[in-house]
Amino acid sequence: MQPELSVGRSGLLLVVLIASGLALLPLLILLKDALVGGSAGGLGLGADGARQVQGTLLLVGGEGVLGAVVGTAIGWLTAVCRFPGRRWLRIAQLVPMAFPAYLLAASLIDWGSHRGLRIHGLGWAIALLTLANYSYVFLLSTESFSVSGRRLLEASRSLGVGPWRSFFRVALPIALPSIGAGIALSAMEVVNELGAVRLLGVPSLSAGILDRWQGDGDPQGAALLSLVALAIVAVLITAERLLRLRSRRWNLDGGRGGGHVWTLHGWRAAAAQLLCSLPPLGAVAIPTLWMQQGWQGLQAEPLSELLQLAGRSLGLALLATAVTCLGALLLAICRRWSPQPLVQQLSFLAGLGYAIPGSVLALGLIVLGGPLGLSPVLLLLWGYGDRFIAVSKQGLDAALERIPPSIDETATSLGCDWLAVLRRIHLPLLRGPLLVGALLVFVDVVKELPITLALRPFDFDTLAVRVFQYASDERVGSAMGPALLIMLFGLMAAFALIPSLDQRD
Amino acid sequence: MPFKLTAIPTTALATTALAATTLASAIGVAGMAQNRPQDVNVYSGRHYNTDKQLYAEFTRRTGIKVNLLEGKDDELIQRLKSEGSKSKADLLVLVDAARIIRAQEADLFRPIRSAELNKDVPSNLRDPQGAWYALTRRARPVMVNPAIVRPGLIRTYADLGRPELKGKLCLRNRASVYNQSLTADELVRRGKPATQQWLRGLTANFKQPLFTSDTPMLRAVGQGQCGAAVANQYYLARMLQDKNGAERSTAAKVKVVWPNPTHVNISAGGVTRHARNPEGAQRLLEFLVSPSSGEGYAAANNEYPLKGWGNNPILKGFGSFRPSPVSMEQLGRRNREAVQLMTQAGWD
Repeated sequence: MQPELSVGRSGLLLVVLIASGLALLPLLILLKDALVGGSAGGLGLGADGARQVQGTLLLVGGEGVLGAVVGTAIGWLTAVCRFPGRRWLRIAQLVPMAFPAYLLAASLIDWGSHRGLRIHGLGWAIALLTLANYSYVFLLSTESFSVSGRRLLEASRSLGVGPWRSFFRVALPIALPSIGAGIALSAMEVVNELGAVRLLGVPSLSAGILDRWQGDGDPQGAALLSLVALAIVAVLITAERLLRLRSRRWNLDGGRGGGHVWTLHGWRAAAAQLLCSLPPLGAVAIPTLWMQQGWQGLQAEPLSELLQLAGRSLGLALLATAVTCLGALLLAICRRWSPQPLVQQLSFLAGLGYAIPGSVLALGLIVLGGPLGLSPVLLLLWGYGDRFIAVSKQGLDAALERIPPSIDETATSLGCDWLAVLRRIHLPLLRGPLLVGALLVFVDVVKELPITLALRPFDFDTLAVRVFQYASDERVGSAMGPALLIMLFGLMAAFALIPSLDQRD
Repeated sequence: MPFKLTAIPTTALATTALAATTLASAIGVAGMAQNRPQDVNVYSGRHYNTDKQLYAEFTRRTGIKVNLLEGKDDELIQRLKSEGSKSKADLLVLVDAARIIRAQEADLFRPIRSAELNKDVPSNLRDPQGAWYALTRRARPVMVNPAIVRPGLIRTYADLGRPELKGKLCLRNRASVYNQSLTADELVRRGKPATQQWLRGLTANFKQPLFTSDTPMLRAVGQGQCGAAVANQYYLARMLQDKNGAERSTAAKVKVVWPNPTHVNISAGGVTRHARNPEGAQRLLEFLVSPSSGEGYAAANNEYPLKGWGNNPILKGFGSFRPSPVSMEQLGRRNREAVQLMTQAGWD
């Protein structure tokens, strides 16, 4: 049984209501607009819609499987095994996160076309999306492998169980909730991805929703497609939830296990190094190869302009990260303390903002924001929070579930109120996921495009907006300057996380 | 590691505070700027850096500051629709006739009277009631690799359906609004049955997969993977001026063939329905359209001015063409029908 709250049980409910209300309002407005207004086309998916649903499902499936395998394997290797260069390779895994998928796609296509190579279609899309998104699985799985079940692993090793079997029978089941959370996150990113997928010519729901809404003037058809997208994401989240319920294992180890469990030698070490270096190298190789064509693009923007763009991106990202992580923490804590199913449901719904394609969310916020007369920056922060709260919430939820309720009960029986429990027990244990969440949100906001493009005020371009303007004008070369800065910010954020990763050693 | 975990929250707080202050001051300045009634606020679907130089020139001459918001045309239209009378935009600039008509149908423009604009903008390139005026022209000729397809084979767009081009015709996909307008052009000029037949012939000649942008498509033509393609002239002009030598030599292998008549499209601007500074917006429009600055506006992006061929040597090198007599208004109004026909013909 969950411990009773001394004060503010209704306060909790209020917080969750407000948070989920804010998150859902743009979507509800859109649905209302769509369903109330007249319809241009007939209701129904149509051949186009069916192809778009299929396209998105194939992308999600492909990236889900590939990302899960790559992310988990690398997470395992860098967390638990020892081989030369492990530390640097672990840090290097954060590099691909700094590259927006649309930029990878645009530069790869451009580079390919110079050599007569046609980069197009589902295969390339899955590969690029995996490259851009496997880091979610990697981060959450490596965190889990480092923290959970160390004693169990060491026990199984001392019993003579080899690394492979230990992985499949001990470590993997324990880490499954975190891996599942990572897969769900990366899959949601895939559902949302618009630019890269359009460039590669793969039909997708996100493109279909926009085209129907704005191109065909058919909001109802667009709303229908949005519901399909939401359904896919709801399935993903539910599957991930079921996974967590079934593998409910509390970690009673407490401390982080020092040292590594297996040392790799010879060809095994080389294989591990190869696997771990492939994704970061791939991510870096694409822009590098393509920059070889000429550095002239770097001169497209004067330095003062670049600094202004960078300042805006940085400022927005920091603010959004603070707002989002705070919101996620509040929701996660509320969910833990309140056994009411209503709170659980609302908290779940609040995270659904991630499922809504950014361009659709932007539409909803435009429709909301106009009459309300809110400042554009406020709308932007609302949009970022709505979209990215799930990113930090996933990790927090999974981590909180690792803490057995008995600890809360013990603490409250010793006289701590929920605030003290939060401060002295939960927060220290949540530091890792909080940081990971903050990093992911920061990088996501710096890369974010559709919401920023649609809601920003006058003369307020960010780096991502400038990259898009050049790339969509087919001047990918000129996009290099701002793109490099985006990557730089991503790398900076990644390096800020190193201490937290390394502390486990 | 010397970096302590506990230090991070404090640093994070400090950085956030700094960022918040910077952001707040940036917004404050921007906010103040927008409150000056004599500024002109522009929502623009054009996003070429060179446009900014022209707006700066306008400010130099008149003292009126131009605040710019560039974005995707359809999003700007949606934004204006939602903002309604609260909108701060004075001037709306869009690319492609289809989008301009979409904006007009959403009642986003206010008609103005300007003798200067009527003089500088040909009648088929503006709204009869004065809701919007063209700013630049762009043409969509056929681009051919002479080693694969004989240029003389193509005299009109209908020739793209000839059996000699089977498997050699590269085009962008249906989502490209430029192709939609091309189809609308055929629809207006030749009627529905002829257009359907043309589309069938076209799709039979496709080299799959279709492209999602013009420049890689033109490179494919230059490299010999495609025999013919249809693209806007400024992409080729840009490639011919690229600093990369390999790009220039690939582009040099592409020959521009002007069908008779040639499909022409525009980028255009109009004063918004709820503009707070309509006089300023009108002055800006007149400035952009005037022959001297209009040429600068167009030439910087290798587009054509409203009359004649301009002074761009590369464009002059492409030769002259007979523009289609179809008005931009007709192109816009037939866009939905054109897209339907393209879908039916299997143009994906």
